[in-house]
Amino acid sequence: MRLIAGVDIGNSTTEVCIGQIDEAQKLTFVSSTSCPTTGTKGTVANTHAIKSALKAAMSKIGKEISDLSLIRLNEAAPVIGDTAMETLTETIITDSSMIGHNPSTPAGVGQAVGEILRLDEQRKAEAGKAYIIAVPREYPYEAVAEITNRLAEKVDVVGMILQADEAVLVENRLTKKIPIVDEVARIDKLPGGVLAAIEVAPPGQTIRMLSNPYGIATLLKLNSEETRMITPIAKSLIGKRSAVVLKTPGGNVKENVLPAGEIYLKAEKEANINIDEGAVKIMEAVSEAGTIYDVIGQPDTNVGNMFAKIRTGMKTVNETTEEVHITDILAVDTMAPVLISGALAGETCLEKAVGIAAMVKTQQLPMQKIAERLKADLGVNVVVAGVEAVMASLGALTTPGVAVPLAILDMGGGSTDAALISKDGQVAITHQAGAGELVSMLIQTELGLSDRHVAEQIKKYPLAKVESLFHMRMENGQITFVEDSIDPRFYGRVVMLSESGLIRIEEDIPMEKIVQVRREAKQKVFVTNAIRALQKVAPDKDLKKIPNVVLVGGSAEDFEIPEMLMEEFAKYMIVCGRGNIRGKEGPRNAVATGLVLLSLD
Amino acid sequence: MVVNKPSIYIYVNHPNENVLREICSGIEEEGVFYEIIERGEQDLNTLTWMAANDSMLGSGIGIKENSTAFIIRGLTMGKNLTYYAYPSNEESRVLGMNSARAIKKQAFKNM
Repeated sequence: MRLIAGVDIGNSTTEVCIGQIDEAQKLTFVSSTSCPTTGTKGTVANTHAIKSALKAAMSKIGKEISDLSLIRLNEAAPVIGDTAMETLTETIITDSSMIGHNPSTPAGVGQAVGEILRLDEQRKAEAGKAYIIAVPREYPYEAVAEITNRLAEKVDVVGMILQADEAVLVENRLTKKIPIVDEVARIDKLPGGVLAAIEVAPPGQTIRMLSNPYGIATLLKLNSEETRMITPIAKSLIGKRSAVVLKTPGGNVKENVLPAGEIYLKAEKEANINIDEGAVKIMEAVSEAGTIYDVIGQPDTNVGNMFAKIRTGMKTVNETTEEVHITDILAVDTMAPVLISGALAGETCLEKAVGIAAMVKTQQLPMQKIAERLKADLGVNVVVAGVEAVMASLGALTTPGVAVPLAILDMGGGSTDAALISKDGQVAITHQAGAGELVSMLIQTELGLSDRHVAEQIKKYPLAKVESLFHMRMENGQITFVEDSIDPRFYGRVVMLSESGLIRIEEDIPMEKIVQVRREAKQKVFVTNAIRALQKVAPDKDLKKIPNVVLVGGSAEDFEIPEMLMEEFAKYMIVCGRGNIRGKEGPRNAVATGLVLLSLD
Repeated sequence: MVVNKPSIYIYVNHPNENVLREICSGIEEEGVFYEIIERGEQDLNTLTWMAANDSMLGSGIGIKENSTAFIIRGLTMGKNLTYYAYPSNEESRVLGMNSARAIKKQAFKNM
């Protein structure tokens, strides 16, 4: 009786499968496990994850690693994926010239124009002029109301900007009702004596005057040239419930179009595409280019820097001096909320951006090195055997209900791979740039999340809104009641339903918006890539000639990606579904299972 | 017919003035009504729970001397959402805001 381990090192997870072969050469699978990959795939740092995964799998059957007679490593696909994101436009506000945000409780309704007057400089007020009062946090609201009421007898007070969250409190004590914007953090940056326009929208609505260039022009009496310059401000105030715009001399708001640059495809059919033309044009060029030898970005431009970044990243992984060649890219259009520099209340502006996943083909990943290190550390025989995609196909064949010819779609973290086994056992393989990590990056940028980890979680878990301490509404509209009350920390928030309980999303983003961004990111990456990959391996590039597609890999476990692909492939009359390795593992463990199976002969 | 105004009930027993004032400010800023009712010698948990039970909005605050707590109807007595023995002005203000936010179905502040 021998115990054999198959080990699959992926971009994000390392999977292990243990098989037992008895004297009659009968194979039974006894254990399997997975754990996060340590280090970049194909480097010696991977051994840590391998060891802990092996240990966990062996302890499940009450054995030690030393009881193994053989460990088989996959010949990892010689591709490494990386992603980069670059914004194509940027808005710069050199002087503080606007406030636009959504305080939870502004007060008053309407718009007004007046000169900014700091409360501590109220003596400077001249009779008969209109003023917007700026109040720092130190003043209690009773005092603010009292001073303002007295001031209003002498001058015209038309609006107020508060640092503290006290707009309603102040407004309730004013004799004359005016629009008040509160929770403005950097009130010290407001210049005194400058003409400004203030607007607070009625409940349930957003501002109308200050989000319209002509509205600003009307209020601040701008000429056509000034109106043109103020347009980016109006744009960035769209959808806000309260805003202040200052009339500052000179053009100090700029919307820059960055020199995005061109992508040069070195391929059978060479092409240069300007990145401004968008992802669709780029992908068209990529598909028409045939075999791609390398992709280069125009030097000293955004895209040039982006590819340089990917290249240096790859070089350190590769540990070789050989040239790094990017052999495939996936470009995706996106919008990124970018913090406006010089903002007074943390305002952001939606900027056009492009996300790119690139894939590098290396000569050979140093798998032999990993094998040697493992052998030395564990004292067990380790061999590198089996091409990853072939092993995955072999493993996928253990799914009940499949038959050759069969295509597998391995959707991992770094790349989307496809393999087609024909009736006579021939295997065609392709690797495409772009998979789970690109999806996480898109979610992170489009929602403006500070943490990639949160984006990963949003990708993985369905959402719910906690509507009371006793019930929550799932993203599909279903209502769930709980026996005991929900932790008040989750009250009124959007939460993710993970295996280990609720995780709250710190950012205040509506659930519908998160769902939309998440689904679009998955569509943009996985549906595009699945079709691209299958077209490459399909006979005569005709998808209709593929009867079966089995989805394997980490992203096949996702709660909505397989359904998206099934819908898409139904158009081509393809039977498509999530794999179920050995009838019980789900879409995971295909490669590791294939490796163990291979040791049978 | 007697109809109670939809408001948050604040049941008090020798309340600290600062605490009471800041809590009221917090509720007012959120735009919700409140009523302050003096109750005899009772412990904080009972004051708080009774306030939530009697309030038409189901949100109640108790203040006994310096200590304060808030709860909403449906929770068991003593399972207060926030409790402070000696709250700062800031903490009292936020407690008031949160009792109002509970009604408006908005996420709590600083929780």
